[in-house]
Amino acid sequence: MSRKDQDLINRIAEGARKGRISRRDFMNYSAAAGLATAGATSLWTKSAAAAPQRGGTFRWGIHDGNTGDTHDPGTYVTRTMIFLGHTHRSYMTMINGDGSLGPDLADAWEANETASEWTFTLNPNASFHSGRPVTANDVVASFNHHRGDDTTSAAKALLADVEDIVADGEHTVTFKLTGGNADLPWLMTDYHFAICPANDDGTIDWRSGDGSGPYKIDSGEFGVQFSLTRHDGWHGEGAWFDNVDIIVLNDPNARQTALVTGDVDAVSQVDVKTMALLERDPNIQVFNVPSAGAITMPMFCDTAPFDNVDVRNAMKLAINRDEIIEKILFGAGTKGNDFHHSPAQPYWPDDIPQREYDPDQARALIKKAGAEGITVNLSTADSVSAGAVDMAVLYSEHAKAAGINVNVVREPNDGYYSDVWLKKPFTLVSWGARPTPDVMYTLAYKEGAAWNESRWVNDRFNELLLQAKAELDDSLRAEMYREMALLARNDGGTIIPFFNNFVYGARGNVGTPDELAASWESDGGRAASRWWFTG
Amino acid sequence: MGDLLRLVLKRLGYGLLTLLVVSILIFFAVEMLPGDVAEQILGQGATPETVARLREQLGLNQPAVVRYLQWLGGAVQGDFGISATSGDPVMDVIGTRFVNTLFLAAYAAVIAVPVAIILGIIVALLRNTIFDRVANVLTLTSISSPEFFLGYILILFLAVKANMFPAIANLSSGMDLGELLYRTFLPALTLVLVVTAHMMRMTRAAIIALLSSPYIEMARLKGVPPWKVIVRHALPNAWAPIINVVALNLAYLITGVVLVEVVFVYPGIGQALVDAVSKRDFPVVQACSLIFAATFILLNLAADVGAILTNPRLRHPK
Amino acid sequence: MSVFVIGYYAALICASCLAAYFNYRKVFMMVFSLTLISFVLGIIGGVPALRNVTIAAGMLALAAGVSYAFREFLIQIAKPDLAKELRTAPLTASFGMFVVFTYAIAGIFAPWIAPYGEAEVITSAFAPADRDMLLGADQLGRDVFSRLIYGARNTVGIALVATILAFIMGALAGLLAAVKGGWFDQVMGRFADVIMSIPSLIFALLMLSILGPKIWVIVIVVAIIYAPRVFRLTRAVAGNIVVMDYIEAAKLRGEGDWYLIRREILPNSTAPLIAEFGLEFCFVFLLIAGLSFLGLGIQPPTADWGSMVRENATLISFGDITPLIPAAAIALLTVSVNFVVDWMLFRSSGLKEQ
Repeated sequence: MSRKDQDLINRIAEGARKGRISRRDFMNYSAAAGLATAGATSLWTKSAAAAPQRGGTFRWGIHDGNTGDTHDPGTYVTRTMIFLGHTHRSYMTMINGDGSLGPDLADAWEANETASEWTFTLNPNASFHSGRPVTANDVVASFNHHRGDDTTSAAKALLADVEDIVADGEHTVTFKLTGGNADLPWLMTDYHFAICPANDDGTIDWRSGDGSGPYKIDSGEFGVQFSLTRHDGWHGEGAWFDNVDIIVLNDPNARQTALVTGDVDAVSQVDVKTMALLERDPNIQVFNVPSAGAITMPMFCDTAPFDNVDVRNAMKLAINRDEIIEKILFGAGTKGNDFHHSPAQPYWPDDIPQREYDPDQARALIKKAGAEGITVNLSTADSVSAGAVDMAVLYSEHAKAAGINVNVVREPNDGYYSDVWLKKPFTLVSWGARPTPDVMYTLAYKEGAAWNESRWVNDRFNELLLQAKAELDDSLRAEMYREMALLARNDGGTIIPFFNNFVYGARGNVGTPDELAASWESDGGRAASRWWFTG
Repeated sequence: MGDLLRLVLKRLGYGLLTLLVVSILIFFAVEMLPGDVAEQILGQGATPETVARLREQLGLNQPAVVRYLQWLGGAVQGDFGISATSGDPVMDVIGTRFVNTLFLAAYAAVIAVPVAIILGIIVALLRNTIFDRVANVLTLTSISSPEFFLGYILILFLAVKANMFPAIANLSSGMDLGELLYRTFLPALTLVLVVTAHMMRMTRAAIIALLSSPYIEMARLKGVPPWKVIVRHALPNAWAPIINVVALNLAYLITGVVLVEVVFVYPGIGQALVDAVSKRDFPVVQACSLIFAATFILLNLAADVGAILTNPRLRHPK
Repeated sequence: MSVFVIGYYAALICASCLAAYFNYRKVFMMVFSLTLISFVLGIIGGVPALRNVTIAAGMLALAAGVSYAFREFLIQIAKPDLAKELRTAPLTASFGMFVVFTYAIAGIFAPWIAPYGEAEVITSAFAPADRDMLLGADQLGRDVFSRLIYGARNTVGIALVATILAFIMGALAGLLAAVKGGWFDQVMGRFADVIMSIPSLIFALLMLSILGPKIWVIVIVVAIIYAPRVFRLTRAVAGNIVVMDYIEAAKLRGEGDWYLIRREILPNSTAPLIAEFGLEFCFVFLLIAGLSFLGLGIQPPTADWGSMVRENATLISFGDITPLIPAAAIALLTVSVNFVVDWMLFRSSGLKEQ
């Protein structure tokens, strides 16, 4: 075997170890490098399938932390707290790397026939860091923290249709709903619903920072840094690192420099501008994971000129998504198709044709609607997302080719979501990832929803939404979501240019699973318990 | 000495008045910021009812004047209230931050002040030579460069290229002094570069301004060597302006380092203040601002007192 | 030993011999110490270090040449009085004037000088420099060179207006306080204390968050921050003048405050005020750059040096110096202004060193 081949094999082995290439590709490459199948198999086992190793201190630089953060799960709002919550606390369920729903504290769950009553069985091995086992009472108290008149939880709306939560013995909890909701176990993954120890009076003790997650907090300062050690009694699998240091690095440059110089082992967000440059560094891995977070451009369907469906569809045809993803996101995005259902969510219909940039057809539709020479105002602000204003300007260039004048109005950053969004007829909005299409559609597309940002009303869509929500048969549900997607795409008032990707990085010696969860940055915010050091 | 005491007391009185006015200004500035703490805590997921509920819990429904007076009532008794976001006493929230800021300021000052004064004396001694000219250009350059520029250059060369020092200055409890000094070396060096030049130029100017006075002329004619003229004769009379500029720069090291904290992710009080402003957390903003204002006032006072003490003529005005 | 190294030392030694022969002591000392330093550098850093020294020396010589020529040019076109003054200007000062002049030209004629518009996207992101783009492209594919030119107009223009405003407010209040004295003096003095005791960046942060980062807000806020410093200086300078006999005489003549300020005090306090103007301009400039760096200054897509640094700052980790170019532009201007101010201070203080 020549030295060149040896190099190649080393590189392939390295790729396999980091999960960058599949087993099949690995075999093919190895054959090309002149390695016998048996040898390749053993190399594969040695590198890729090598079990994660224990040990080390994982230094994790996280963006978005604030001195004013607290351990109150009802007011988790910064990424630092969300990721910390996934590290020192547990949730009932979790979204796996492959996008499926898996157990966390809850071992098993089942619904009655109408999906209006759900029973969860807790993992009997789960314990808080204080040593006390996690019981049904803790779960009830933790969910009640977000319910009732007195709550200040930002997640109150998500539990609006929960009528009652009852503990049945030590390890069983039953949720009674006012209507059917097949998505309740998915809903439990919301970052607010961390399980905290209950006090005797039915409230929860969130101040102490006690939790039942993989790591316990040794010391920490909000907005600065947290040091955690492994919780030996953790009920889950993983938690390979001995210690985890969460370091708040709000400045994108500081984050990136720290990763390059090795001051941290992973960072939660990489500036997309320099993603390509970072990828060239052999000591750095950059992860670019499609997510369910999206930029939307809602048009008021009850306001001229958007009350005409032809105008709406012309607007949708007049956007060049490819160029926007290339120029604004530097490729870190997935093309949207004007229905708010991402490939990273369950039940995604993969057979709906992608809507492409077609200024001619858009022009024809405008002509059909009798709206030639139309001028519309598009409101946006820099705070919506990085490059939001640039994107609006780019869109106005695209639309010009279709004879549509888009006038970009730059609104003040502060108060954009209270004074502009839902008030101006055509805006640019950033949406975080939601676990299921039902949550997304109910929030922003249902008739009468407070956040129905496009004021779109479609009877068939609303009817399907209710049916699908209570439907426990997966294939029937998928079919319903497909029809709803088509309705939103062809009749709705929202342009969805793209779903943004999560872009985050790690040093080369960090091992990760083959598939990274799409629910949050850094493997669903669970990097600390899912990743390991390869050496 | 009685005059000096009276002066100090009078200045302290003015200082308290200034602090009161500052607290009023800051209070209403925070009131006028768009959005309030309840909206900021709940973020995008806020609904009108939860916001209203939180406002009630935080006591935001009372009129602004009442809230200010409540705060003032506590503040005069040394109680600066509790942080609206975390619910912890303000002093707990910013205590360690303030210590960190003082540490960095002290670190920079311990290097910068002696270096600046010694270099200032040397360039005064070597005035109008090539060395003086070069020093002049270099100090002007370092004064005139934005701090973030200096910080980035140091990161580029000492952290990224040479990998000698960490690019971020994150601290954790239980670090020993050596490691602390090592981790905070780059931000400290940035600050040293920023303040040294200013102090050095003032030292040089103060000494040179005295060189044309008759008593210096006298000493020179007596045949006293130049370095002795400067160190023994000029320097004692130059202390007043030097102390003044040192005090100003010390105040700057404590109050003006937000940019350096941002560039190096140093957990100082400036970052805490910026965070608190973004969360509209009034008690924390107020406490930080008052700490800054008090630092400024006290250091100014110290400079004046120092000037009087080093100059008998000022101590006994005609 | 390469040809370059031999040539390098030969040139240095020849130059020092020439200097020694023609009795230019300073030049000789400088060149010869450079030779000695080069030995050390050459051993430590090798040929690249020497190359860098050559480049630096060349740049320095070029700067000196330009400054010399520019001073001669100014002397030629200036009136005799001014020309006499200019002859005393050191090379640093004329270099400063040259840079200020260049920036002014760039700012005023930006649309004609810049090859592209300030917000015009012309190519892909971070495209390298080529014949059309002197400095390459930024993160959106805009020409960095054009944005630098427009930045001169925006950043410098705003700083200039803010400084002038601060001076009008501060100087006026200071002169009035000196002339009127009494409670007006006291109130203004305390008010200045209050503003000065709030750190400038914090004050700006609060005000800009309240009023939004519009250009006129930036100008006014920055002017308010710096006015107290001008006030203090003016008050001190005018305070010394107010007690003069000729002011007393004018007062006895029954002249009003305004007359006193305009005809008696102002003309006698211009020198320190002008020197202060240069210094304050630098501070204002740095503050605005700092605000832009924090994202509160001049808003995109308007080209501005501070935000240009911030937008491209992430490139630093890759050893790319693109973000440092606008920062260097800031530094160069402030250094230059300070050079000029230094000379003016020297002239106004009347201090002649022997």
